[in-house]
Amino acid sequence: MTFGSFESFEPFGSFVRSRCPLLLVAIVLTARTADAQSSALPPVAISRHLAEARHLSVGSTIRLSTDRAGTDVRDFRIVGIYEPTPNPARLGTPDLEVRFHLPDLLDLTRDPATLPGTEPISGLNVALTDPADAGAFARDVNARLPGINARPASEATGTAGPFLVLRRFHLAIAAVTIGAATVFLLALTIMLVDERRETVGVLRLIGLPARRILVQVFLEGLMVAAAGAVFGLVLSLASERLINRFFQWRYDTALIFVRITPDVALTCGAIAVPLGAVATVMASWALLRRNALRLARR
Amino acid sequence: MTIWSTMRRAIAMASRSLIRQPARATLGVLGVAAVGALLLDMLLLSEGLIVSMRDLLARTGYDVRVTATEDLPRNGPRLHDVQTTLATIAALPAVRSALAVRFVDAEVNLAPDMTIDVSLEGVTGQAPHPWTVLRGRDIRDAGEVVVNDSIVTASGVAPGAELMLQADCGAGTEALPQSRLRVVGVADFPFELTNEHTIGTTLETATAACGAEGPLQASVILVTSAGDPDAAVKAIRTARPDLGAATNEQVLGRIQETGFTYFRQISSVLTTITLSFALLLIAVLLTVSVNQRLGEIAALRALGFSRGRVVADVLCESALIVGSGGLLSLPTGAVLAAFLDRILKNMPGIPSELHFFVFQPSALELHIALLAATAVLAALYPMHIVARLPIAATLRDQVAE
Repeated sequence: MTFGSFESFEPFGSFVRSRCPLLLVAIVLTARTADAQSSALPPVAISRHLAEARHLSVGSTIRLSTDRAGTDVRDFRIVGIYEPTPNPARLGTPDLEVRFHLPDLLDLTRDPATLPGTEPISGLNVALTDPADAGAFARDVNARLPGINARPASEATGTAGPFLVLRRFHLAIAAVTIGAATVFLLALTIMLVDERRETVGVLRLIGLPARRILVQVFLEGLMVAAAGAVFGLVLSLASERLINRFFQWRYDTALIFVRITPDVALTCGAIAVPLGAVATVMASWALLRRNALRLARR
Repeated sequence: MTIWSTMRRAIAMASRSLIRQPARATLGVLGVAAVGALLLDMLLLSEGLIVSMRDLLARTGYDVRVTATEDLPRNGPRLHDVQTTLATIAALPAVRSALAVRFVDAEVNLAPDMTIDVSLEGVTGQAPHPWTVLRGRDIRDAGEVVVNDSIVTASGVAPGAELMLQADCGAGTEALPQSRLRVVGVADFPFELTNEHTIGTTLETATAACGAEGPLQASVILVTSAGDPDAAVKAIRTARPDLGAATNEQVLGRIQETGFTYFRQISSVLTTITLSFALLLIAVLLTVSVNQRLGEIAALRALGFSRGRVVADVLCESALIVGSGGLLSLPTGAVLAAFLDRILKNMPGIPSELHFFVFQPSALELHIALLAATAVLAALYPMHIVARLPIAATLRDQVAE
């Protein structure tokens, strides 16, 4: 998939973004052939969703206004089409965005009563020479410029950001699922161990101590749990791509919905393997405490 | 022998089979209870936000919302020249009353070095105010405010006290002068966020706090229709085609298309997973159980039990496990839903009165139907084993063993 002349486009860092539904409430769009006159127009970049929705391409001229009536319409030249930054909060809604150079946006949106150069802006992104200084820099700015709220980018979402809340929610769901899986596992191991009661009885009768059998059962449980964990990981890795592709297609977004990281894989293994082994031992424990003769007799 | 009496006998037989193996029966029931609880919660989650939001919108008493664009209130640009717009809308025959509201972020100074962030709601119009006074009285004049309990807890103010408020109206970095406001009551704001400090006042007071003079601006105009919200929307759109007007149902539709999609999706995915999990659990339990009792079943067939009867035994066993687990899943699901709701309500921008998990009879009906289908599907394979069991060969094998 290509996004217009993305490669040849100026860095987006010098552009500011405006969502069409928010600001440009009445967009009068015309697609004209690029000529000498249009090349002198202020440049804008538009999101892929907007380009697709209005059949626009690089070089087209668009007319933008800040109100529905279309007053004070201005012409702009599309110089790039970009893939909008995926935003989970806007899932299912096309990102109809236009990015301007800040002076062009201010010219378009300035209230007649406002003097040029006194317009408010929402925020400033600062790139530090040493990103590790972000905290100290923010503190310094806050102390020197009262009324300005400077925060390191890492703290911008706050402690109750939607992703942290969703993370807690997913962890809670995972805990319930693990609980259900443990019960399932216990039921299965009890049945499997019960099927082997005769074998266990014979082993006890020929002289194997209960501890030795328990170790054997533990190792067996460990191996089965490890194999199960590996199978589960392979299954999730295979479904990861499937799930992402389906939802990316469904919502027309580049958002990644599922990502199996090494951390996630290790956590899964660290939970599944001991759980499986312990379930096997627990299920066998009651059996091994019984009399060997009773076990061998059906 | 009627089908009913056959089933009754089958249920009695299945109960005895389960009681004979208490450990595996208990674990089966517990497993279904856990999975069933999760299933119930996902069904509640799939429509919970919409049901809760619909209830919240209906509770406020306004059935049409007018904004400058098609965006949701607070997300789009403000309405200008509010008094004229309000008068135009209120004069429409399809409209009973209208109220303009402007939302302003502000800080309240409690002490020289202590401030709290507040959300200021300035209102003007004939419709009732979008809050319920709990103590004291409602605002009457400019400079008067009602505060929510959260502010009372944080600052200790009571009706009669004064607050120093500094508004942040998105006007840049210039520091706006502080406004001295008099608290006249404590109110409950239906759309306030969890732990949000909210203040209600007149639109003129909110505008003055923003240091603005001249025509008033508003974030939204709340309209109570004369009985038909659709007719009111049509009339408003005809009178003011430059504005966006939407009924509560249309607002819900927009919210449903955007903000709540994630929860519907996760609910669908987890519903599928939990059902598959339950299916697998019951199918494995029954299959292993049946395999361990092949000799016993063959003996019953040899004694004269019909094929249909032993198949019914397996089906009843599945139904008993799923039924008991399903019953247990209802209180477990309710507790889990309350816990998960508490987690999700920490999401920024969620009104404290909004719930993610809302009980609806339709969700319970679907829960029962899905579990019943699971019980039948899970029993299919073990029923097939039992139905195809060769009596003589199985008995011979058992004797040989």
